[in-house]
Amino acid sequence: MKANNLIYAPALKQEFRCRVPLRDARQLFLVNGTVQGGGAPLALRLEEGEQLDKMLQIIGIRSAEGPRELSFSESFHFGPRSAGRIILCAHTFSLDRFKTVERVRIELEEEARAQFVVMQNEHNQADHETFYDISLAGGASLDMVFLSLHGGVIRNHIDARLCGEGASCSLSGLYLTDGEQRMDYDILLTHQVPHCHSNQVFKGILDNNGVAHFDGLIKVVPDAQKTEAYQANHNLLVSPTARAYTRPQLEIYADDVKCSHGATIGRLNPDELFYMRTRGIPVAEARLLQQVAFTNEVVEKISSPELRERMQVLVEKRLRGEFSRCQNCSKNCC
Amino acid sequence: MKTLLQIENLHASVGEKEILRGINLEIKAGEVHAIMGPNGSGKSTLSAVLAGRDTFTVTEGSVTYDGRDLLALSPEERSWAGIFLGFQYPVEIPGVSNVNFMKAAVNEQRKQRGLEPLTAAQFLKLMREKMAYVEMDSSFSGRGVNVGFSGGEKKRNEIFQMAMLEPRLAILDETDSGLDVDALRIVASGVNKLKHADNAFIVITHYQRLLDYIVPDVIHVLYKGRIIKTAGKELALEIEKKGYDWLIHESE
Repeated sequence: MKANNLIYAPALKQEFRCRVPLRDARQLFLVNGTVQGGGAPLALRLEEGEQLDKMLQIIGIRSAEGPRELSFSESFHFGPRSAGRIILCAHTFSLDRFKTVERVRIELEEEARAQFVVMQNEHNQADHETFYDISLAGGASLDMVFLSLHGGVIRNHIDARLCGEGASCSLSGLYLTDGEQRMDYDILLTHQVPHCHSNQVFKGILDNNGVAHFDGLIKVVPDAQKTEAYQANHNLLVSPTARAYTRPQLEIYADDVKCSHGATIGRLNPDELFYMRTRGIPVAEARLLQQVAFTNEVVEKISSPELRERMQVLVEKRLRGEFSRCQNCSKNCC
Repeated sequence: MKTLLQIENLHASVGEKEILRGINLEIKAGEVHAIMGPNGSGKSTLSAVLAGRDTFTVTEGSVTYDGRDLLALSPEERSWAGIFLGFQYPVEIPGVSNVNFMKAAVNEQRKQRGLEPLTAAQFLKLMREKMAYVEMDSSFSGRGVNVGFSGGEKKRNEIFQMAMLEPRLAILDETDSGLDVDALRIVASGVNKLKHADNAFIVITHYQRLLDYIVPDVIHVLYKGRIIKTAGKELALEIEKKGYDWLIHESE
């Protein structure tokens, strides 16, 4: 499938009428797991040296016409020295109890460069589990930002392998839960060869009875010397009944490496809150400013300014609890 | 002159420990009051209680501000009513830029007064104008609130915020601590520019030198949670020379 030839699907456009497409993006719909609902799985291949001129936004939707339980796969193959930016969105068209299992294969050959933004925004009855199988050859670089904004149960399993020297992988994520929502990240990042770099920053804000699990393992095999690998997971509990579980782990079998990991579970800082209130900022607004500030570190990793701004607005609306107020459709995307 | 603040027999505790033990103080519009006193005498507690910090419990007494029961108001309501606290240790807020912080504060104040929010252009103009008061560089506006600021920059930021909010009663808690002479002059001149007949200042300080720049009408000495001496500005010089011991002996 040639990405530069993809076109916007007019039949579906009206479903997203409240949303102006990003100027710098092409859109493709993945309806119940197949391209434009036509039955074919998504398999994108970039040839050697091929560069995607615009971002490719893949809008995955689950609709009432499809089965309640569905599993499907996608693959993204980046040939040597190719480059592209992909946005993967997950939405639901109806409030059915969808259960989705998705397998995403991302393969970067030598010196390929890829940026992914994954935006998960479904509804409280949706259960979406995704397995990301990622491999990077020598000199390849992958920058991936996950935004888990809304969903009954969202589970992301990431298995990323750095297979060629000089590969570099950055994984960042933000998860926001409220009500009875649950979000899990389960990450295995393996340094299989020397001289690779990886960085992970995952942050979550948990409200009401929301629950999040973070289970992250960095594995450095014997002889993967000069590895640099960092991992951080920070959780903010904004209600007394929200819960976060975190297990940052390192398994290092080489002796000349720089690795670190850290995890925190905390609450909003009361000194900051008081300071803002003395300036006349009402307590609810002050709490919101603090939460938005907490999310910035992740959202700022989105390199496209247009997309980043849009995601900042979306995250802020999500934190304000304004998602359900949009009258245009049920997608909660604006 | 109109009475702006009336404190009567104010007692406040943190946990079981009583820190303020019967404060009486009256401040009229147009006045500058200095509060001095040794460490641990309750100066910062008094300012925190006036600003509405909930770590302290008021156990007795009353505070009337502009005819209202101040103690019944939340910290933000006090701010809307015109109270400002300049912090001894300004708080760093990573991820919230100075400009967004001030925009949220100024527009909330306007909303409370039934005014439209400022446009982006009006706001930036106001910000530039007030930053000039304290010789603050415009590069500060995009940075996180107080993040990576030096001690002097943080204090200047407090005075800048005060200039933006134009309070009727400003309480400056040891704004001079940690300042070199130049920063002290800048901070003091910022205060003097904001002073007029309808507002009042409470300046809490350890040292006489700040009072060379901000000339008080009255000086109070606080000791063990009570005001043990009230006098004119000459008292500061006497304290500079002789310390507090003689006053403490006198009061005991």
